[in-house]
Amino acid sequence: MIKSRWMLFLFVLFSAGAIAAGAHAEVIGAPQPWEWYFRTAATPVQEDLIWFHDLIFWVEVVIVLFVMALMIYIVVKFNAKANPTPSTRTHNTFLEVIWTVLPVLILVVIAVPSLRLLFFMDKAKNPEMTLKITSHQWYWSYQYVDNGGFGFDSNLIPEADLKPGQLRLLDVDNRVVLPADTEIRLLMTSEDVIHNWAVQSFGVRLDTVPGRINETWMKVPAAKIGTYYGQCSELCGVNHAYMPIAVDIVSKQDFQRWVEQAKTKFASADDAAPMKVVQAETQSSIDAR
Amino acid sequence: MDQTNRLKEQQRGIRLTVAGTLLFVSAMVGLVAVAEPLYKLFCQVTGYNGTPRIAEGQSSPGGVAETMTVRFDANVNREIAWKFKPAVNQVDVRIGEEMLAFYEATNTSSEPLVGTATFNVMPERVAPYFNKIQCFCFTEQVLKPGESVQMPVTFFIDPDMLKDQYARDIKTVTLSYTFFLNQDQSKAKALSATQANYSN
Amino acid sequence: MADTHAHAHHDHGDHGEHAHHPTGWRRWLYSTNHKDIGTLYLVLAIIASFVGVGFSMMMRLELAEPGLQFIHDQHFYNVILTAHGLIMVFFVVMPALIGGFGNWFIPLMIGCPDMAFPRMNNISFWLTAAGLILVALSTVVGGGAGTGWTVYPPLSNHTFHPGMSVDFAILSLHLAGAGSILGAINFITTIVNMRAPGMTFHRMPLFIWAMFITAFLLLLALPVLAGALTMLLTDRNFHTAFFEPSGGGDPIFWQHLFWFFGHPEVYIMIIPAFGIISQVVSTFSKKPVFGYLGMAYAMASIGVVGFVVWAHHMFTVGFNVETRAYFIIATMVIAVPTGIKIFSWLATMWGGSIEFKTPMLYAFGFIFLFVVGGVTGVTLSNAPVDMAFHDTYFVIAHFHYVLSIAAMFAIFTGMYYWLPKMCGKMYNEKLGQWQFWITFVGVNILFFPQHFLGMAGMPRRIADYPDAFAGWNMVSSSGAVVSLVGALLFFYILWDTLRNGAKAPANPWGIGATTLEWTVDSPAPFHTHEILPEIKAEPAGHH
Repeated sequence: MIKSRWMLFLFVLFSAGAIAAGAHAEVIGAPQPWEWYFRTAATPVQEDLIWFHDLIFWVEVVIVLFVMALMIYIVVKFNAKANPTPSTRTHNTFLEVIWTVLPVLILVVIAVPSLRLLFFMDKAKNPEMTLKITSHQWYWSYQYVDNGGFGFDSNLIPEADLKPGQLRLLDVDNRVVLPADTEIRLLMTSEDVIHNWAVQSFGVRLDTVPGRINETWMKVPAAKIGTYYGQCSELCGVNHAYMPIAVDIVSKQDFQRWVEQAKTKFASADDAAPMKVVQAETQSSIDAR
Repeated sequence: MDQTNRLKEQQRGIRLTVAGTLLFVSAMVGLVAVAEPLYKLFCQVTGYNGTPRIAEGQSSPGGVAETMTVRFDANVNREIAWKFKPAVNQVDVRIGEEMLAFYEATNTSSEPLVGTATFNVMPERVAPYFNKIQCFCFTEQVLKPGESVQMPVTFFIDPDMLKDQYARDIKTVTLSYTFFLNQDQSKAKALSATQANYSN
Repeated sequence: MADTHAHAHHDHGDHGEHAHHPTGWRRWLYSTNHKDIGTLYLVLAIIASFVGVGFSMMMRLELAEPGLQFIHDQHFYNVILTAHGLIMVFFVVMPALIGGFGNWFIPLMIGCPDMAFPRMNNISFWLTAAGLILVALSTVVGGGAGTGWTVYPPLSNHTFHPGMSVDFAILSLHLAGAGSILGAINFITTIVNMRAPGMTFHRMPLFIWAMFITAFLLLLALPVLAGALTMLLTDRNFHTAFFEPSGGGDPIFWQHLFWFFGHPEVYIMIIPAFGIISQVVSTFSKKPVFGYLGMAYAMASIGVVGFVVWAHHMFTVGFNVETRAYFIIATMVIAVPTGIKIFSWLATMWGGSIEFKTPMLYAFGFIFLFVVGGVTGVTLSNAPVDMAFHDTYFVIAHFHYVLSIAAMFAIFTGMYYWLPKMCGKMYNEKLGQWQFWITFVGVNILFFPQHFLGMAGMPRRIADYPDAFAGWNMVSSSGAVVSLVGALLFFYILWDTLRNGAKAPANPWGIGATTLEWTVDSPAPFHTHEILPEIKAEPAGHH
């Protein structure tokens, strides 16, 4: 009882928060209390993913209900009282073939859309901009490679500093801002251990691995402008729970304005030291040594 | 009599079975012992993990009409106090044409440091067609305190890529490097030793 | 095998061995008797389960509400989730299903006096026991290993876990792994060479088939784990760079090695369960197993295919799309033999005269909940959907349905089914059925809401979560309390049986129980099948 009242309170708090944060973009991709389904999809990839999940889901529901029905029938008909003399039947070739072939067919029905979606989500056709994401213990840093190369760190807002409407464990000091209607290439790597940049509404979930770059993409239509949340999804040490992801999707014009501001806000002094060219060595010259 | 025969037979069977199981175990141990070089070889041959081809000593086959954008990405591990970035963010190259690009590295610490770089290219599908002729990543780099250097990379993209139906529609490829602090810092130590001698 | 003639007589003659089998602590420490060693394994599993389940209860307690109430140190939370995983896998499920039931019933069911190498059997057990001590130590020395049971580098390397804790965990798995390999060699040798006259491969009970296949999986998978762990150990302590990018290594290489072992490992835990369920379903339906050969070869094919699907645990590491496509298809293939097993169990029960005693209730529950956990496996096998679920509570829900629920249900099934044979006393049937229903309700309340949490995107391995996830977490934690009641009731039943249980007859289960272990007295005497039984009839389900 107490619990549910408390939940209601939380819910009211969230709704009030969402209104209070009106100055900011509308929160779309945040988890809701008692949620038992996906968050709102923001990208075509996630929309397809949800559609495909639902296809598998209903196939599975049918299978589970079918097995359940058989088991209920068995309980009723074949308990020791109802059926004192057991049959001795141990073979039925027809049945055995059916329950081998039918699952194969069901799996083919699942596999075809699965592979189609897999190849669709794998690579962007022609991304217009690139966001470089680097993970650290325990925060994210973002670099706008194609927009002047500025970058910033994105840290969790500690519980004590939360303003009304900000979500505990989800809101960050510097949100990533990205334009809508734009195909965006996401490049990810890590500075220390393996992390994972996951924003469910985008259908993006990719490990950041030290020493290598990973690539994926996203595109949010203008109709889905708003704020989206995600969390680190690979155990990365003590503060694994405290490195959330918050993304503002804004219109292209707003994004340009934001970039101009951000360039000065996040400007970094770049020292120009004299350069010398090193002689690159080839593998063979190393082997020769 | 029958019983002893049976036992003898059984003993033989047991010896054979144990030999068989031990063979299984040693085969798996052998496999895992060579797994590391095999994995590296596999990555190099298939471009798995975005491992580009090493084509030192080869020359490029010559450019074709199609072009491609090559982007350069640079990372520094937190254990090495270097700055590291590409001279330019991206270049357009003709496929098959040999290309020279530069990265810039600066040692921002107050001691000499030895760094080594790892690298990969993304999308992974392009990796087997991405040939590196010359590269700083093959070797340890020693930077004196405050020293900055330019590091060249020579590469070409194999025109065979255009025959690969899964790769030919990719228009952009990213070449990424990450500098790590080398576990073997003896070269840096030697350097500081000689410097110490100079100042004396 | 109702028409099997077992000429085993235990009442005659003083065998020399009888005179000097050790008593007291020596009987257990030096034990070479398969029944005593089986008992030791079961006791080990029970002790380990106190720790493993205790840790899970601590986690559920912390997760009941958002915010940190009880565990203020996140690293400590990571340490107990790591220890929970390692202990439950290596020191509860494996010792119970393989070491415990395997040692007890392989010789009894195939009709031989003991395992092929009784002394090696002793070593296997004590290696496992030493492993348990080391893994327990790993939680306290050097700050504890907070790496997850997957021990992914770089998090598990010297930089991020500088203490000795990870080394202890590695050595623990080395010892337990060595013990399991020796055990597997023992099992295979025994099953291949020491079956009673007339018991051909195709006449073996399905439990024996299951143990035979499991032993092969152990033999093939564990050396890979051992090799990978050794590399990690040298990376941590001797400056090698197998998984260190700074030295030209690749952390993803660890994941390939680990899951090449890790995926067969899940079948190592579930195939013995399949075997137990097959025996129990046949016994209580009073029918031979339906499609005996299909069942045996379904298990074998699950074992084989299990070796070529490992990278479905790594769909988000960023490897190429063709590889992912292959692993999707290969993984889904496993659903086919699994389906054969499910439907064959249903067909075994079909037309049967089923007595729903506690073991049968558990077997029944196993089948249904394994289907529920199995279908979410098909969901997860699809890499595109895994983009939404990887490392969320959906995965937790899935593998707890097939392990925490299904494998644990199989352990309960086996315990209730064979307890009369092992201790010679009957458990309290009414209490047993209560225990089943409490556990059944508890685990479902515990794990079903975790599907919802996963759908909403709650990451696993966090002690504190955004407030929106509060509701289902509270439900899940209350389910944990109910499950705990079920577990405690089980220990009470165990104690009650040993103390007050009525004397069990040689075969308490009636005409359905046709395997050889029911032809010897209850409790099974110290030495059994010294005169080999002779199997003259076709086996169960092979008319």
